[in-house]
Amino acid sequence: MNIPRVLNRKNRILLKELTKTDFKLRYQGSVLGYLWALLRPLMMFAILYIVFAKLLRFGGDIPHYPVYLLCGTTMWSFFTECTSQGIQAIVNRGDLLRKISFPKYIVVVSATLTAVINMLINLVVIIIFALINGVTPTWSWFLIIPAILELYLLSLGIAFLLGSINVKYRDITSIWDVLTQALFYAVPIIYPVSMIATSSVLAAKVIILNPISQAIQDIRFGLITHETITTWNYLDHIILAFIPIIITFAILIIGALVFRRKSKFFAEEV
Amino acid sequence: MKRSIGTRTEIQTNGDVAISVKNLHKSFKLPTEQAFGLKQAIFNRLRGIKGYKEQKVLRGLDFEVKKGDFLGIVGRNGSGKSTLLKILAGIYYPEKGEITIDGTLVPFIELGVGFNPELTGRENVYMNGALLGFSNEEMDAMYKDIWDFAELNDFQDQKLKNYSSGMQVRLAFSIAIRAQGDILLLDEVLAVGDAAFQQKCNDYFANLKKSNQTIILVTHSMANVKKFCNRAILIEDGKIIKDGDPKKVADAYTKLWS
Repeated sequence: MNIPRVLNRKNRILLKELTKTDFKLRYQGSVLGYLWALLRPLMMFAILYIVFAKLLRFGGDIPHYPVYLLCGTTMWSFFTECTSQGIQAIVNRGDLLRKISFPKYIVVVSATLTAVINMLINLVVIIIFALINGVTPTWSWFLIIPAILELYLLSLGIAFLLGSINVKYRDITSIWDVLTQALFYAVPIIYPVSMIATSSVLAAKVIILNPISQAIQDIRFGLITHETITTWNYLDHIILAFIPIIITFAILIIGALVFRRKSKFFAEEV
Repeated sequence: MKRSIGTRTEIQTNGDVAISVKNLHKSFKLPTEQAFGLKQAIFNRLRGIKGYKEQKVLRGLDFEVKKGDFLGIVGRNGSGKSTLLKILAGIYYPEKGEITIDGTLVPFIELGVGFNPELTGRENVYMNGALLGFSNEEMDAMYKDIWDFAELNDFQDQKLKNYSSGMQVRLAFSIAIRAQGDILLLDEVLAVGDAAFQQKCNDYFANLKKSNQTIILVTHSMANVKKFCNRAILIEDGKIIKDGDPKKVADAYTKLWS
C-alpha cells in the first residue's frame, strides 16, 4: 500500500464504481428507495424522542434538546453503519477478491462511503431542523468537519482491524453487533453528560474520553449549543482531551497495519 | 503463524521473456473440522492441534514464456492449473519461488467479474469495465462496440437477472476482449454462446494469435490447444510433466487416462 498506488487513476475509478453500486443496491427493490436513507434515522429519532425526551424527560435544561438528540442518533447510526458495513465488506465482496487482483482496502472504503453519503444527507436534515428550532448559524458550525472526520477515521480503523479478522472468524460480525448495542449506552446519546455528572463527575469524565462520545459532543457543541459538555471544556487538563484523539489514530494505524498484513491471504481464505 | 512468501515482480523491459517462473510452490490450508469460527480456533489451540491439513498444490514449477507466445496449460481437474493462473494474476501469493512478469498483464479468470443480477446491463458494463481498469470516458467510447459485438442492443436497460445465461456470457465476453495488455491470461473462456457467437470468438482468438501479444490459455479442449497454441505444458500433481509441442502435449494429456 505505498502512497502512489493508493489513489492512482485505476483505483479511483474502481472506488467510485463500487460505491455507486453499493449505494444503488442498498435500496434496490424498495418502494421508497433512497428515502429510506433519511427515514430510518428519523424514525429511530422519533422513538427515542418520545421515550426519553417526552416520557422520561432526559433533556433537562439543554437548549434545543430535540435537535441535540437527533444529532446524536444520526452520528451514532453513521458510526454503526460504517463499522458493520466495513467489517463485512471483504466477505461480501469475496467473489471479486477471488477473481481479480486489486488493492483490498478499496472494498472496505467503498462500503463505508455509502454510510458517509447517508450521513451527509441526514446532516442537511439536522441543519434544517436546527434552523426551525431557532439555532442561529455561527462560525463554530465548521468545527463539525474535523469531528466528523475523526469519527469516520475511527470507524475505518475498526473496520480494517475487525474486518480482517472477520474473514477467518465470522463470529466477529455477531460480536460487533452485540458490542455496539452495549456501546450505545456507554455513549451520551440519549442521556446528557450532565445527568451522569450529578451522580459521579468521574464517570462523566470517563464517558466523554470515549472517542465516539468526544466526536459526537464536539459535533453538538459546534452545531447546536455551546453549553454541550466536551473534552475541551470539562476535563481538568487540556492534555487529557487529546486521549480520545490518540485512541482514534492508534486504532486506525493498528487497523491499517493488520489489514495490510492479512490482505495478502484474503483471496484464499474468504 | 508465519508463512514464507515468494516474490512476484512486475517490470517493463524490452527483453524477450514475458513471464519467468522459478521453483514455484503453493499449498493451501484446508480446515479439517466442519465447524468454522472462533470457538473451534480456541478449542484447537488448547488441544494443541492444527485444525487444518496442508494441501500441496504446486510443487516446484519452472518455466519461461517468450513474448508473443501462445501457451496452452493443460492438466486434469485439481492438477493446479487454475492456482498457477491465479498466482500469475496476483490474486494468490506465491508461497515459495520467484515470478517475474514483463509487461502489462490482463487476467480473465472468469468472465463477468462483479456482474450483479440486480443492476441493468448498462450499469454492469461500467462496473465490469472499472474492474478491468477502464475509465468512464474510455467506457463511453467503446460502449456501442461492446453491445454491437454482443448483439444485445435491445437489452441494455434490462436488469441482468432477466438475461439468459448465454446472453450474460456474451456480454461479459464482449467487454473482456476490449482489454488491452501485453500479456493475457485466459481461464477456459473460449467459445461461449451459440454456434454463431462461437465463430466470432474463434475469429477473435485467431486474431490474437496473429498479434504479438503473449497469451496463456488454460483449457481442457485439446482441439483449441492444437489450433491456437505454439507451445503447451501439461501439469500433473503440481508438477510440469510435459513441455513443448502442443500436439505432443495434447497426446500426453489424452494418455493420462489410459
